[in-house]
Amino acid sequence: MELTHLEIEQLLGVYALDAVSPEESDLVEVHLRDCPRCRAEVAEHREVAASLAHVGSSAPPGVWSRIAGSLEEAPPKLDLARVMSLRSRPARRGIPLRMAAAAAAMAAAVIAVLGVQVSHLDGRTDKLAAALQENGLDRAVQAALFDESARRVDLRSDDGVTFAQAVVRDNGDSYLVRDSLPKLADDKTYQLWGIVADRAVSLGVLGSDPDVSAFKMAGGGVTALALTTERAGGVPAPTMTPLARGLLPIV
Amino acid sequence: MTSALQEMSDGGLVVAIARYREDALAEAYRRHAGAVFALARRVLADLTTAEEVVQEVFLRLWTQPDKFDPDRGSLRSYLLAQTHGRSVDLLRSDTSRRRREEREARQTAEAGYDLEHEVWDLTVADRVKEVVAVLPVAERRAIELAYFGGHTYREVAVLLGEPEGTVKSRIRSGLQRMRSALKTSDLSDPGDVAWN
Repeated sequence: MELTHLEIEQLLGVYALDAVSPEESDLVEVHLRDCPRCRAEVAEHREVAASLAHVGSSAPPGVWSRIAGSLEEAPPKLDLARVMSLRSRPARRGIPLRMAAAAAAMAAAVIAVLGVQVSHLDGRTDKLAAALQENGLDRAVQAALFDESARRVDLRSDDGVTFAQAVVRDNGDSYLVRDSLPKLADDKTYQLWGIVADRAVSLGVLGSDPDVSAFKMAGGGVTALALTTERAGGVPAPTMTPLARGLLPIV
Repeated sequence: MTSALQEMSDGGLVVAIARYREDALAEAYRRHAGAVFALARRVLADLTTAEEVVQEVFLRLWTQPDKFDPDRGSLRSYLLAQTHGRSVDLLRSDTSRRRREEREARQTAEAGYDLEHEVWDLTVADRVKEVVAVLPVAERRAIELAYFGGHTYREVAVLLGEPEGTVKSRIRSGLQRMRSALKTSDLSDPGDVAWN
């Protein structure tokens, strides 16, 4: 069954209150993926609903201790494969950088404590440490992910879709990691630009299907990153409107 | 708990949670668990199940912080949407619904329990109550049955004896009306009042 835009719009209020059937919910969710206007309306409805729920009361005693206890017993799943396989498209696609960074930071923390808390090692951390040592893949990217002082920027489309994420280290070593960047035809390439004042400076020609790309951020003055699609081989100046961009955090 | 965490924005807290900072989760819990629990309890009318929902919602934030997208609204509305969705799922399972209906019938018989009065006079914060007051009764009733009662709009239509299309429109226009009133009243971010 397909619904018109108008029919979907009429469902947005009841959808936001979980008052639709599972089938209707599925139809709305499919529509929301491609409709920023309807997404914004649902978000507004949910903010209103959240205001209704406010009572200013406290959570019952005991629940937090149960939650904290669960964290100790079952720490968040460390999906090491995701952290290690940045070049492996199927594993990387759709995984936000911050999660990879979080897992990587956790891995770093585990490594850091290995020397002083050997008695606390269990099977899980043993496995983690071994995997980190064995896997030389993307060491430079991992180092950037471990680097707390590195700047991170999401490259997003105008309607809010994150296409890629960049991490920029203080020394200028930088990496662009795919998020939802689609594969291009072979005669096209992605090209990354640094915005300096009103000029776009090419930072790299990334190819038609990039997973992780390294680039150097030499010199200062870059305030934003932008991504365009260009003809294969790249161009000296952008010929297309950026499909995604992001402001670089100020140091 | 560090004061830095207490001053951190909700977005910053989620980033810290993604870095496995348990104290950041504790701070998010301190800010929002009261509202999460109250909503779950309201919808489920069951203390124990509501506590389980609270636990589930915050553990999900811990294991899947990337599900929260700050571009799509506040952390508070995200957590409450999770809470509501989960509570409604539980409610719509036969056992829970039967338990709730039995409890409500018993409370009504024993203490003159008035669900409508309870919901709208006791659960709604004073500031928001003013906004709710802008709603025509028909819109308010439809929203109440859907949101706090956990009913689908089709069920609401049957309960109110109204066409389904009318109920859909009333709920949407009621939410839009309240949104406008919240903006006018500068209550568009009610989340901050829950921190105190």
